Amino acid sequence: MSAAAKARRQLSRRRAWRLALRYVAAVTLTVMFLFPIYWLFSISMKTPEEIFASPPVWYPASIQFDNFRALFRGGDAVTVWNSLFIASVSTALAMFLGTLCAYSLSRFKTGGDNLAIWIISQRMIPPIVIVFPLFLLYVWLGWVDTYHGMILLYTAFNLPYVIWMMRGYINDIPIELEESALVDGCTRWQVLVKVVFPMARTGLFATAVFTFVFAWNDFIFALVMTRSEVTTYPVQVTHYFGGQSNFWAKIAAMSVLGAAPVFVAVAFLQRYLVRGISMGAVKG
Amino acid sequence: MSILASDGGSRLSRFSDRNFKYLVVAPAILILLLFGIFPLIYTLLVSFQNINMMETDTSFSGLLQYRLLFSDARLWQSLGHTLLIAAIALPIELIAGLLMAILFLERLPGRQLFVSLLVLPTMIAPIVAGATWRLLFDNRFGPINQVLGWITGEPQAILWTIKPDYVYPAILIAEVWQWTPFMFLILLAAMSNVDSSLTEAAEIDGASPLRIFRRIVLPAIWPVMTIALLIRGLDLFRLFDVVWALTQGGPGTMTETISIYAYIQGFRQFETSYTAAIAFLVIIMLTVSVMFALKRMEFVR
Amino acid sequence: MARLKITGLKKSYGDIPAVRGVDLDIPEGEFTVLVGPSGCGKSTLLRTIAGLEEADEGTIEIDGEVVNAMRPRDRNIAMVFQNYALYPFMNVFENIAFGLRARKTPDAQVTKQVRQAAEMLDIVALLDRLPRELSGGQRQRVAIGRAIVREARLYLFDEPLSNLDAQLRDEMRGEIKRLHQEIGKTMIYVTHDQIEAMTLADRIVLLKDGLIEQQGAPLELFDRPATRFVAGFLGSPSMNFIPATLQKDGDGLAVAFEGGASLALPPARAGALAGRVGQQIVFGVRPEHISKSVGAAARDGHVPLDVTIDLVQLTGSRTYGTFRLGGVETVAELDVHDVEQRGERLTLLFDMNRAIIIDPETDLVISHSGAVT
Repeated sequence: MSAAAKARRQLSRRRAWRLALRYVAAVTLTVMFLFPIYWLFSISMKTPEEIFASPPVWYPASIQFDNFRALFRGGDAVTVWNSLFIASVSTALAMFLGTLCAYSLSRFKTGGDNLAIWIISQRMIPPIVIVFPLFLLYVWLGWVDTYHGMILLYTAFNLPYVIWMMRGYINDIPIELEESALVDGCTRWQVLVKVVFPMARTGLFATAVFTFVFAWNDFIFALVMTRSEVTTYPVQVTHYFGGQSNFWAKIAAMSVLGAAPVFVAVAFLQRYLVRGISMGAVKG
Repeated sequence: MSILASDGGSRLSRFSDRNFKYLVVAPAILILLLFGIFPLIYTLLVSFQNINMMETDTSFSGLLQYRLLFSDARLWQSLGHTLLIAAIALPIELIAGLLMAILFLERLPGRQLFVSLLVLPTMIAPIVAGATWRLLFDNRFGPINQVLGWITGEPQAILWTIKPDYVYPAILIAEVWQWTPFMFLILLAAMSNVDSSLTEAAEIDGASPLRIFRRIVLPAIWPVMTIALLIRGLDLFRLFDVVWALTQGGPGTMTETISIYAYIQGFRQFETSYTAAIAFLVIIMLTVSVMFALKRMEFVR
Repeated sequence: MARLKITGLKKSYGDIPAVRGVDLDIPEGEFTVLVGPSGCGKSTLLRTIAGLEEADEGTIEIDGEVVNAMRPRDRNIAMVFQNYALYPFMNVFENIAFGLRARKTPDAQVTKQVRQAAEMLDIVALLDRLPRELSGGQRQRVAIGRAIVREARLYLFDEPLSNLDAQLRDEMRGEIKRLHQEIGKTMIYVTHDQIEAMTLADRIVLLKDGLIEQQGAPLELFDRPATRFVAGFLGSPSMNFIPATLQKDGDGLAVAFEGGASLALPPARAGALAGRVGQQIVFGVRPEHISKSVGAAARDGHVPLDVTIDLVQLTGSRTYGTFRLGGVETVAELDVHDVEQRGERLTLLFDMNRAIIIDPETDLVISHSGAVT
């Protein structure tokens, strides 16, 4: 075999090794990161004996949905519904108001840099800083433990994110499309509805999903602002902390219910994942 | 065919066109003002008063609360705890995320699937992540102790969420587990965006991979890295959910973060004015650090 | 059809002035080209007419109506953008129909007008397609279709051909000219390309730094430029500018160059320049007004000069020879076989009737041919 061919074979063998090693590393990492989630799911589907087996049972003998059924019987499932309702409505509201605001910031530079900076700084405020005065305000308004109270709260909480992201997406739309529509006979509102929204479709969708996830996952606001009427699933999960038997199953089952929609969202959102979580810093 | 002369439009439609840009921002800004400015002002006012569980003394008490702040050991300890967690978690997340990103940078069949799976920890609620690790760390039935038992050869029953030696590792493990994928994803995307012609030119010039990384890739992703660090830093500062799920700030007050401390002061002790002072302190600290960080970033650029 | 009158228009972006005082009076049906180098204010001027920008000072009148305060949609104008501005999520038919639908035109009417416009532009076969399935030239036609379908009173074009390759540009230029002939509306066309300006315009408005340098019929600006800028901007390849001095030459005047060469001016022109003997001037002559001498004698106004050719560029239909005159590389446009290789010595004839004289201090043209060919 010629020297060149030999060198080529060596090179491709080295490359194959590298690929194999990388693959092993990738699989190991994935297993390490997913194991806790797997564990959570498996507990939610185990029988009490399996849950409290020592040494632990690594996978359930058969998949049981009893734990989930118990949630529905015990009234825990309501909290999942509460979360769904509150997160959806607040997302819709935040998307609508936020996108309008983002349009104004993008095309008219309303309020200039100062407004933009102030809006983004709202995103960075730690919740504990504002939760207390808001709580007192809510007590005074009678909004504690109400749907509309929580919806408005999450809307306000997510507005800065929506505005920031949609501003980025709208900036990407060529302005000639809107100018052409203006000359052709559209009012500003028509331009929004007929040109901007269709063009920003994918950005709207991605931002909406992220906004939903943020509202869905929130704990501290829910902890403070809900009692018994409007409890959301994150708070409900913590009610079962204490380490007793069927509480574990409940914790796991509720957590699974809480995590499942998010997994679905990720499946749909792969393309926009990076832009969404980096707040537009990287256009993945 | 008639030429449509300007129909003039109704007066309302012309008004709404001209003031369009203000009309559309108004609702959003109003909500933000209510939920953003109002609490700040209120916090400031209340912090100068003296309201607590027993009395509602709304008279101006000057810097009473702030003086209490400085002599409150528990407050500063909680700040210390928060900073400790941040100081350890952030570098780990950064380096691990960077290594993972490098691993996945070159072509790999099924990469999309791997990335989607690896991102799941970041997307679940932090409280759920905490709950998950709570189950994992259980001293009798948790797999962590089981695996440790295999490694050491004798059964382990470590009380991860109670024993002082183990609470911090537990929190850190949970936190790093959840957020390393965040760094990984962002860094992977940033590195993928680096112009390949830059790295190819360096390769031809004979630079080693390490040198290419240090001199070309790292500076190119630096802006994104700083933003990611800023976001994570701020998130770590307001750490609440994971700690609450695992230890609730315990044992005692050993793992209390500043957010947990403020929560307890406000909602368990009902020290309204004192909590307001804490909140204001946090705001000031954050503002100063963010401005400092931003200036440094621009300077380095 | 509309008459457009602009008075004293000024527009700045923050501290940067874009339009510094423009007056225009364009009669109905005329095709006006706003041309100039980038940054001269032509696009800003166009956008102000459209209503996409607000003027800081001055008035814009369409058909006698002051439109400064009117929204774009109320001005009854149509605009074709450089980047076509086609909506990617609508097919060609809907793109063209967009403006009609925005004004709530009934469906039957819409279909009729869209078809008419499509036929005029020969794009009927494309009505179902999406913009991404079209070529550049086809997209441009759709953009034009969207403008003409509305039967506006004024048509604005913002560098519509800049994104097309050279061959397509030539073709579309002819189409636009034909379009104007067919529908006869008032059209305002912005470009940086002087060939487009020359071929399309009834009137050229040449802008520089936010002001009108000169306006008029194309040949007027070409043969009788008012300033050095105008002389150099129009014409390809551009005019040669050679520093020189005016000297007495017997009874008349001659243009004398550094290095000894000199060209005599025709007596008719010498008269007006008599007061400037001995002064520095800039001599301007177009490459096409320099030809190879056939025979030795000077013809009426054509003055011979011996030169050495430094550089030969062949295009197939013409040959460009470069030589040094007065310290400047000068280009002559010659017939294909007039010169074969560098280093050749030739006798060239300079058409001194058509050359221009520029005052170097003001950059104004102080003498030109006066006769429009």
